[in-house]
Formats: sequence, C-alpha cells, structure tokens
Amino acid sequence: MTADLLFEIGVEEMPAPAVLPALRQLEVRLQSGLAELRLEPADITTYGTPRRLSVFIKDVTRQQPDIEEEFKGPPASAAFDNDGNPTKAALGFARGKGLEVADLEVRDTDKGAYVFARVTQAGQPALQVLPELLESVARSLTFPKTMRWGEGDFRFARPIRWIVALLGEEVIPVEIAGVRAGRVTYGHRFLSQGPVELSRPSDYLEALEEAGVIADHHRRRKMIAEQARVVAQEHGGEVRLDDDLLTEVNFMVEMPTCLCGSFDERFLDLPEDVVVTVMSAHQRYFPVENASGALMPLFIAVRNGDDKGLDVVREGNERVIQARLSDAEFYMREDLRVALADRLDGLKRVTYIEGMGSLYDKARRLGPLVRWLGEAAPVSEQELQTAARAALLAKCDLTTNMIADTKLATLQGRIGGEYARRTGEPEEVAQAIAEQYQPRGASDVPPATNAGRLVALADKMDHIAACFLLGLRPTGSADPHALRRDAQGIVTILLDARWRVDMPEFIETALAEIVGLESPTYAKAGLPDALPPEQAALQIAEFLLQRLEGDLAERGVSYDLARAVLAAPCPDLLDAYDRALALAQVREQDEHFEAVIIAAERCANIVRPVRAEQELSLAPEMLVEPAAVALHDAYHEQQQRVEEALEGEARDYAAAWQALSALRGPIDTFFDDVLVMAEDETVRSNRLALVGAVDDAFLRLLDVKKVVLEGANDQQ
Amino acid sequence: MVLQNMFQTLDAFWAERGCLLAEAYELEVGAGTMTPDTFLRSLGPEPWDVAYVQPCRRPTDSRYGENPNRFGRYFQYQVIMKPSPPSFQEMCLESIQALGIDPSIHDLRFVEDDWEAPTLGASGVGWEVWLDGMEICQYTYFQQVGGMACRPVTVELTYGPERLAMCLQDADDYRDLMWSDTVSYGEMRYEEEREYSHYNLEIANTEMLGKMFEMSEQEAREVTEAGFPLPAYDYVLKCSHLFNLLDARGALSVTERTAMIERVRDLASAVARAYVARREELGFPLLKAANESGLESPTYKRR
Repeated sequence: MTADLLFEIGVEEMPAPAVLPALRQLEVRLQSGLAELRLEPADITTYGTPRRLSVFIKDVTRQQPDIEEEFKGPPASAAFDNDGNPTKAALGFARGKGLEVADLEVRDTDKGAYVFARVTQAGQPALQVLPELLESVARSLTFPKTMRWGEGDFRFARPIRWIVALLGEEVIPVEIAGVRAGRVTYGHRFLSQGPVELSRPSDYLEALEEAGVIADHHRRRKMIAEQARVVAQEHGGEVRLDDDLLTEVNFMVEMPTCLCGSFDERFLDLPEDVVVTVMSAHQRYFPVENASGALMPLFIAVRNGDDKGLDVVREGNERVIQARLSDAEFYMREDLRVALADRLDGLKRVTYIEGMGSLYDKARRLGPLVRWLGEAAPVSEQELQTAARAALLAKCDLTTNMIADTKLATLQGRIGGEYARRTGEPEEVAQAIAEQYQPRGASDVPPATNAGRLVALADKMDHIAACFLLGLRPTGSADPHALRRDAQGIVTILLDARWRVDMPEFIETALAEIVGLESPTYAKAGLPDALPPEQAALQIAEFLLQRLEGDLAERGVSYDLARAVLAAPCPDLLDAYDRALALAQVREQDEHFEAVIIAAERCANIVRPVRAEQELSLAPEMLVEPAAVALHDAYHEQQQRVEEALEGEARDYAAAWQALSALRGPIDTFFDDVLVMAEDETVRSNRLALVGAVDDAFLRLLDVKKVVLEGANDQQ
Repeated sequence: MVLQNMFQTLDAFWAERGCLLAEAYELEVGAGTMTPDTFLRSLGPEPWDVAYVQPCRRPTDSRYGENPNRFGRYFQYQVIMKPSPPSFQEMCLESIQALGIDPSIHDLRFVEDDWEAPTLGASGVGWEVWLDGMEICQYTYFQQVGGMACRPVTVELTYGPERLAMCLQDADDYRDLMWSDTVSYGEMRYEEEREYSHYNLEIANTEMLGKMFEMSEQEAREVTEAGFPLPAYDYVLKCSHLFNLLDARGALSVTERTAMIERVRDLASAVARAYVARREELGFPLLKAANESGLESPTYKRR
C-alpha cells in the first residue's frame, strides 16, 4: 500500500539564491529520513518558487514494515541457576525487552552460551511517524541567514505562512513554527482567486498552474530562456543569458513573462561593463546585443505575471533603468573631472587593511614587487614599465563615485582601466589596470597581457602576505578576505603564462616590502594570530601548494601522487604542475612504476631517520662491496641523466623517471647483498650516505613515501 | 493621485488597521527608522503600531535637483507594527492597491534586501517592494536594534512616496509630480534641492561640522548618563546628521568614517539600553494596557 506525499512550505518571498540549496537539503534529508523510518520512497522531486519549497514523493509506503530485532543478554550460566531457574539477571533482561523469561532463547556463540531476546517491533502507520520527520527536516534546513518573526523563536530564511502536508488524500498532522499543515496552498498573488484546496498530492502542479504558478523550476527556467530569446529577436537582437542571473531571476518569479524595454542610446557611451552591471546587478535585466556582439539600448525584464498590462510594466521598467543609468552617468562625469593619476594622493586617506597602512602604501609596495617579478618572468622592458605604471594607479578607482556605489563595486579594476584610458594613460596601462583582479573566480579568465599578469600577481601576493602577517589566514570554510581565490589566481596565472617564478623568493619579496614599510603598523595592530615573516613565508608557500593540489586533482592526478610531487621541493609551481602530470602518465603506462617506488622507499625508510639526526657525507672510494660499487656507479650515471632531463625549459620528466627506474635493480641487489647498518660507524655512515644520495635523486621528482601503493593495505 | 492625497489615503488605511497616526519628528534624520517612534519604540516587549510621514535628509544623495529621482531631502511614509502580524505582507499589498495601483496590470514583487544601519546598531531581514522594477517600499523584520535583539519582532514598512507618485502620476521627473491639484513638487522643492546640494556637497564648513559633532557626542553621552534617554537621543540624531554631512563633503577618510560610525553606534546603543531600562522601571505601560484590555495578545488593537 503506497501513497504520494506532498510537503510544501509556504513562505514570504525567499532570497532567490537560497531556494535551490534549500530544495537540495529537503530532498537529501527526506530521502534519508524516510529510509530510517523504513518508508521506502519511490521517487523524490522538488519544486521551488520564491514563495514555496515543495517536495513531491511518489509511492511512499503507508505502513512501516514490522521489524524483528535481536538483543544479546547475559551468559546462559548467569541467567539460569543450576536447576535451570531464571536468575535476577534473566528476569531483568526479559523485563527490559518487554518479554517473558519463557520467550528468551539460549544459543551457543564462540564465547559460550548466551541468552537472546527476539523483539518484534510493530510497524506504525506512516501518518503517525511522518509529522516528526517533516518537523525535524524543516527545522534542520540551513540558510546563509535566518530570521525570527512575530512573537516566535523559530528561525527560518523567511517567515513561514502556510504548510501543505499530504499523504495520499490525508493531511499529515504536523505543525511548524506555529503553522498547522493542511491541504490549502496559495497561487500567484495576483493571478489566482483565493486559496487552492488540494485533494491529493498528484494534483499539485496542475492546480498551481491553474492558479498562475509554474512550480516546477526547471520548466520555468526553460520558459524564461526561450521567451527571452524570442523577445530579443523580435527587436532584432540576441539576448545575453548569463547563467547565474537566469537562476536568480527564475527564483524571483512564479509565472514568467519576458518583455523587452529600451533606454536612451546616449547611455551606450558609458563603459559597457557599467551598463551591463546596472542592468543585471541592480535590475536583474538581461542585456541584448546586435549581430556583431555590441550592446543595444535594450533590455529584457522578466515580469512575475502574465502579459496583461505588459506595456505599463515595460514603461515602468524603462523609467527605472533610465534613472539608474543617469546615476552612473553622473558618477562618471564627476569622476572624470579628476585624472585617474591625480587620485593617487587621495589613497593616503583610505585604509587598506587595518594594520597594513593605506592604499597609497599598498600602491607603493606593488611597484618593487612588479619589478622583481618582471626580472623573474620573460617580459620585455616595455611591458615591465607598463606594469609598474599600472601597479601605481591600480587602486585609484577605489576613491571614485562609481565604485562607491555598492552595486557597482564589482567593477573595481575595470573602472580604473576605463578611467585611465579616458584620462590620458596609454592603452596598455589601462588594460593592465583593468586586468588586475583577474581571474575573479573559477569561471573567469586570467589576464591576457604580460603587464596585466605582473600587476595581478603582485596585487594578489601582497594581499596574501599582508593577511598572513596579520594572522588573517582562512580557517575552515571562513575566508573573509578571499585569500583562497587570490592564491588560486596566482596559480592559474603562472600556469597559464607558463612562467617559472621562484615562489619562496616571490613570497619573501612581498613580505619584505610590507615589513620594510617606514612604519610597520602591522606589528602594532596587536592581532592575536599575527605571524613573524619567516613563519608567514612557510605558511604561504604551503597555502599556494594546496591550491595547486586542487588543480592537479581537477586534472585527474590522484591525490597521493599529487602529494608525493608537492612534498618534493617545489620552488616553482609550473615545474611542480608539469612534473605531476608527467608522473601521472608514467604511473599509468609504466608497469614497473610500483616496483621502482618500492625500491626507492627502502632507501627512504632506512636513511631518513638517520638523516634527521646527523649529516652524512659520501666517500665513493671507500665503497668496496661489488653491489655497493654497482649502486654508486648506477647512481652516478643516472643522476646525471636526471639533471640533463630536468635542465632548461623543455623538461623531460618521463626521461628523468626512466633514469631513476634504472636504479631499481642495483638498489635491490644492494639491499640483498650488503648490510647497511654495519657495525663500523664509518662504513655504516658511508653506506647510508650512498642510500641518501639515491633518495635525493628521487626527490628531484617526488617523495616516494607519499605514494600509496596498490595492495598497500595487504602489506600492513 | 496627488501626493497629499496619497498621505491621506495611507493614513486612513493604516488607522483602520489599528495604527495610531503620529507626526513627523522635527530633527534631521537619514531615514524614518531613526525617529524615536521607530528606533526606540521597537525596543522592548511593548506593542506599538504607528504610521507617519517623515521628511528625510541624505546629503550624499544630493544631485542639485537634476536627477529625475534622487534627492538629498525627500519623504518617507513609515508604518511600524510590533509584534509583526502574520498578515502584514497582505496589508502591504492592499495598501498599495488602496493608492490606486492595480496589481493585475503591474509587476509587484518582493525582492530580497536585508537592511543594516551601522550607526544604529540595527539590522533586519526584508525586501524592497518593486513596482515595475522600481523600488517603492522597504519591508523589514527588525532582528536587532541598538545592539539588542528584538523580541518580539517589529516589522517596518517604509514607502517612497515620490517613487510611488511617479508611477501613479505617470511622471518621469519628480519636478513634474503634483503635490496638490495646483502645486507641483518641483515648484515646492526644486530650489531647495539646488541650494542644499551646493551646501551639502561644496559649502558646508567641515571644521565647524566636526566641532559640532564632538559637542553633540559629548552632550548625548552626558544626558544618557544623567538618565534621560529621550533628549539624549536627539543628540545622537544630530551626530548622525553631522556625520552624513561630513561624509557628503568627502571630508572623512575610510578609517575616520568607520571610527565615526562606531562612535554614533555606541551612543545609540547606550541610549537604547537606557530607554529599555526606563520603560521597565515604568512597568512597560503599553504592555500593561494591552493586558488590561482583556485580550491575551498585545495585538489587542488589531481587528
């Protein structure tokens, strides 16, 4: 016997970004909750609109099946006396399980005879156990932000106003936040006439559609995308459908109707970024472009309703965008009264991060850092000059009216570039300023120009260095300064440009610029977690390698190999990246890979503990046993091949591996024939030194001890 | 509908729903929220339902009267209900309909916009109410005021009468709005916007403003300590407005700005605490009145 289940939480309009995550939680928690209750669901579907979080579950069993549980009691010897009469222990055990002593069973186990109780738990009707589940699931939903309302203490994303909970044709009697569940839902605010009574869960979608609501968000999304395309084409353009915006808009409407409005062409003189951001961030409009990809003075708005009075809605929206764009125009006119470069002095009055001086200090730090990078990276003198100028002006847009508008603040950098261009800076400088924050996230591209790369790298490293010195490194999921994004940016830029930059030196230079400030205010900030520069340097290096490890995982490099590669010295991220990819391929193709690792591991195992205590120096002429001499000869030859393979730009990691794998035979023979731990100390340390040299050779590629071998579990 | 009729309509609407009709506060405020009838009354357990028009000043929004819908001085129609009734959102929509807006030919919706007033130590969760893409109201459930959690929760609805009037009168420029049947908003207020914009953005003597801030801060602190939160709060409001002027003049560095916000917030929080303590001393009179009316809930005034 099964019945469909419908659970709808009716709310005052949810924040659009909160709906999907809440639906996912509902689905997962109900799935596992029903399984725990032994109510097998056939199929769970979720629906979401701004005003409802809904779950439809097909074929939920109406009755929990009975279950039989067995409990182990005392040993038979303790449960019954010599005459076979039950003791207190047996009586107590039986009573505890709600049974008579006669119902107990005695069975042999490998620890002797024990008493067992077999208890049958009768299944309950689903209607009886569901209320608690629904209540606890609703209570367990987490949101980025919750609130209280009225006189209650219940917390939710927005006030709960109604609840529908049906199992088949029956109401599941649950109460959440003082709202009693029923069979009444509500349609679109203005397209429906009063409450909607549902007879059964399967009526849900249809009943709501009749009441002006498309509850299925997948379908609604398609409707929006399709309508937006059609409407734009009717106006001779193509809609730019940004995926995130589409998702957001989808959860702002219950019945979508797209319309195309227009604005004064003069606003197209504003930077395109500004126009697009005003449209999307402020008003959630989609931009429209012409055949050559240029912005048209049009926008697509998605109305929450049908097409009645659509012209009135269009005019209203046009009025708003006109005013918003007028604001942007006002900002720009005011901002451009001052050349971007003349804003430099104003940066003195803007704090960068508490304890890290002003933005002016930051601008001054970026110069030397860019210069250092420019020496390390293959860029021209011209590009270096450009980058230095861009670095100096990079933060000037932070004092503009445009960026002061919180909705437009995401344009930082790009506005700087635009204003630089319009106030007499060379195009290359403008572009480098505009690129400084790239990549802005996983979906963004790194800077395209060398000058942009230099500025972006320096800006990010300075930010990371400043925060680590202050002890503001990310913890757990909290990363308020977005340092992970910055670190990822550094990795992405270096890999994209294929620049070899000595990381420890880069980090050290960035830290030295800060520490060398005339008044190192950071020391006075007195933050509890502030770090001395040497420690910050180590943590930053590790932090960057963690990002690289993530990149490697995305490229399909197994985690153990990635760790093995990164545990070997990695002064240069590009080298580490290439090395890991190459070795991943070797591992797949070389059938002896594991055998070589095992041989190398023997070396590491024996020599590392010793090396931790004392220095070893190798005297080849003192080696006498043939196996030792053979290993040394092989090492000597292959080590040179390794160095040759890893020299210069085109590094052949596979060849280096080939060379190292030739050591496997000599290593094995050496350990078979020679006792490393000789009694004579000179002999012993010389043999250890040889083994250490071999370990070092492998460390040019990876730390063999970090590789998890197949069947490793069997060996343990 | 002309502006003065809008105010009358809203007054009638909310009076019918149990709100008392108050008058505007006479000091400069950046928003209706800052007036004692909202800020102070939302504190503590006493029920409070009120509606009033409040002129507001935001010097940074000065545009010399040339921007079609942004002004340095404008109006808010403020509605407060504590505790927030379950049907408030419906009332909000009904009130908009009462103004003659037919939702079936418009696009009316609630768009997430949580609210925070750092100078008041206040924050809330809520929405902008959009009419055809234009924000016409703010609708907020207060969660914290003056650094104290709101129990019960106060709900605030703030209308932007000028914005609404632009829709109602189909005007593209505030200057064309009609206040009465014979006098336009521009005739009433354009010159004022122009002069104040020059003053706010260019003329105001920042040194003097700084001194006034210091003096007002000290007065607020001393009067709070003397046990008179109501007059003390006047000086908090003065501090807030002086801060806004300094901000509009671009006279504050980011650090100074943050520090000043903190100073005002500390004053506001101190006043809030003193106010609640005083109301408690008085035995929370409005709560008592509600209980004496024989109904269990303090929402006794509601029908």
